[in-house]
Amino acid sequence: MPIHLIFRNLVRHKLRTALTVGSLAIAVFLLCVLRALVVSLDAGVRNSTSDRLIVQSAVSLFVNLPASYVGKLKAVEGVDSVARLQWFGGYYQDPSSFFAQFGVDPEKFLGMYPEFKIVEGSRERFLTERTACIIGRQTADRYGFKVGDTVPIIGTIFQRLDGLPWEFQVAGIYELESIVWDETTIFFPFDYLEESLESGAASGPPGSGVIYIHLAEGVNPVNIAAEVDGLFENGPQRVQTTTEAEFNAQFVSMVGNIPFFVTTIGGGVLAAILLAVINTMLLAGREQRHDMGVLKALGFSDWAVFGVMLGQGVLLCVVGGALGIGLAQLSSPEIAKLLGTMFPGFEMTSEILTNACTLSLGIGLLSGALPAAATRKLLAVDAFRRGA
Amino acid sequence: MSSTAATRTVVELNGVTRAYSRGGERIVVLDALDFAIEEGERVAIMGPSGSGKTTLLNLIGGLDKPELGSVRVAGEELTELTPPELARWRAGNVGIVFQGFNLIPVLSAQENVELPLLLAPLSRSERRAHAAHALELVGLADRASHRPGQLSGGQEQRVAIARAIVSDPTLILADEPTGDLDRASADSVMALLARLNEELGKTVIIVTHDPLAAASAQRSVHLDKGRWKSDGEGA
Ligand SMILES: Nc1ncnc2c1ncn2[C@@H]1O[C@H](COP(=O)(O)OP(=O)(O)OP(=O)(O)O)[C@@H](O)[C@H]1O
Ligand SMILES: [Mg+2]
Repeated sequence: MPIHLIFRNLVRHKLRTALTVGSLAIAVFLLCVLRALVVSLDAGVRNSTSDRLIVQSAVSLFVNLPASYVGKLKAVEGVDSVARLQWFGGYYQDPSSFFAQFGVDPEKFLGMYPEFKIVEGSRERFLTERTACIIGRQTADRYGFKVGDTVPIIGTIFQRLDGLPWEFQVAGIYELESIVWDETTIFFPFDYLEESLESGAASGPPGSGVIYIHLAEGVNPVNIAAEVDGLFENGPQRVQTTTEAEFNAQFVSMVGNIPFFVTTIGGGVLAAILLAVINTMLLAGREQRHDMGVLKALGFSDWAVFGVMLGQGVLLCVVGGALGIGLAQLSSPEIAKLLGTMFPGFEMTSEILTNACTLSLGIGLLSGALPAAATRKLLAVDAFRRGA
Repeated sequence: MSSTAATRTVVELNGVTRAYSRGGERIVVLDALDFAIEEGERVAIMGPSGSGKTTLLNLIGGLDKPELGSVRVAGEELTELTPPELARWRAGNVGIVFQGFNLIPVLSAQENVELPLLLAPLSRSERRAHAAHALELVGLADRASHRPGQLSGGQEQRVAIARAIVSDPTLILADEPTGDLDRASADSVMALLARLNEELGKTVIIVTHDPLAAASAQRSVHLDKGRWKSDGEGA
């Protein structure tokens, strides 16, 4: 097979080849980024451990669990510790600057989440002071919160009767060792919220939205989940107990169909580039009809001629794909920074890059195979006829 | 009939018919044609446009098959070969200079001439040496690195002839090798084919419109509407 013809024919039309390679590179880059977005949405699910269970109302995540459940859950054999968690739903300065706030049982919560590292300030203060809070690294950086600052949060679900914002003192800033949560959330003591409601200083629904259970070592989470569900079978509030992974998965599906949406865009990008490359290759096939006829007349086999055409498609796409993949890999730290809070754990995994390689090769094979199949069947005598 | 001549017969066609159907109508391009060429002959095939000259040459070169009749070339019955066998046969036995289009534009003269050698068990340096020798024979050693676009029409045809002889075939087929050339270039191309015939003993078949060119052949035959014209049946 005259292999040099593959390269020579591609460089013959420098501009066309450059444009095709360029659009391929951009498409492959985009596909890698889109794929990484979908993967990052699943990060919370992937990094979950099975020694944490989450108890929520069987009716809805927005129905609170009674305070009395905490004691009953602690009594279940195999349960190591229990932490309440309440969605606060307030905002800082204006509703558009969104980050989540949760009231939690500080010691129990941090105890079952060793992934949280307090990198600045004092863990001790958070555990002991009533209005202390810890803030995720990204939110702290975004608003310039420092240890010792007071963060005013305007309540929506929970409102103070004096009309003032709630105030939390920054006891520490946390970072995550793995993406089990995100680095944007503020956690404050649940007790502060509960006391404010009980004393009448604030209004809002009592109880806690969910209760986290940390299991003792070697306990089967499925059995405990079933036992807990059975415990409250007859009320007052039926519950649904899930593993952390299942719990996080329901949020991924709650942000609606972002994975589906992103995948659809990716499919569109893929289809567009495939058609563009096929078009280029069909054009090349027509231009080289005569040349391929000459090769056949000289005695080259049908498959050798097939290979020359196929090779052009493959080489085109391998180069374009490699550029796109390189770009995706080089730029992914910057993209992760830009996306920040929306997609924690954005990462260009080697699996994504491998898939992109396979995809580029696939586009190359397909786009090359179309003109190659036609040239394989071409007869030299037909290739030489004028106007053919 | 002539199949048992004393000298070796290189080309022997018997009752060859080739027809195309166009819009339901059957057009007979070659009509029960007989043709024989002895080894070392230089034959010119003449005839008006559309008389079937290229079709005939394609049959002899193993690029096409007849509907009826037998095509025996260089000891092989071509009608019995499969397409891959025909391709291999072509690579080893004929050198063809096509009508009009010949060279691959993205390859240099040297690379164009080397192409047929890729099908032979030769090393890279052997291929180079053979191709350089062939280019020297056609007087274009100094144009080896030129692309076809950088050559004149006559030079292109001479490169095509170099490519036709590089694998040392017994038979050279040339379809209007002087078609678009001026007198001087045409003469040099015809002289080259004559030399290949006389000095290297190649059997040469030339299709041409040009009576002067035909006159330089040892024998010329005339095709008209797929049949031999009075003077010229090929044996
Ligand atoms: N593939 C084909 N399909 C239909 N008709 C064809 C085909 N190839 C050749 N013909 C017809 O066969 C006839 C002979 O063609 P051929 O090319 O052999 O002529 P020619 O003598 O070489 O003419 P020219 O001097 O113009 O090259 C023409 O009428 C042509 O239209
Ligand atoms: Mg012709």
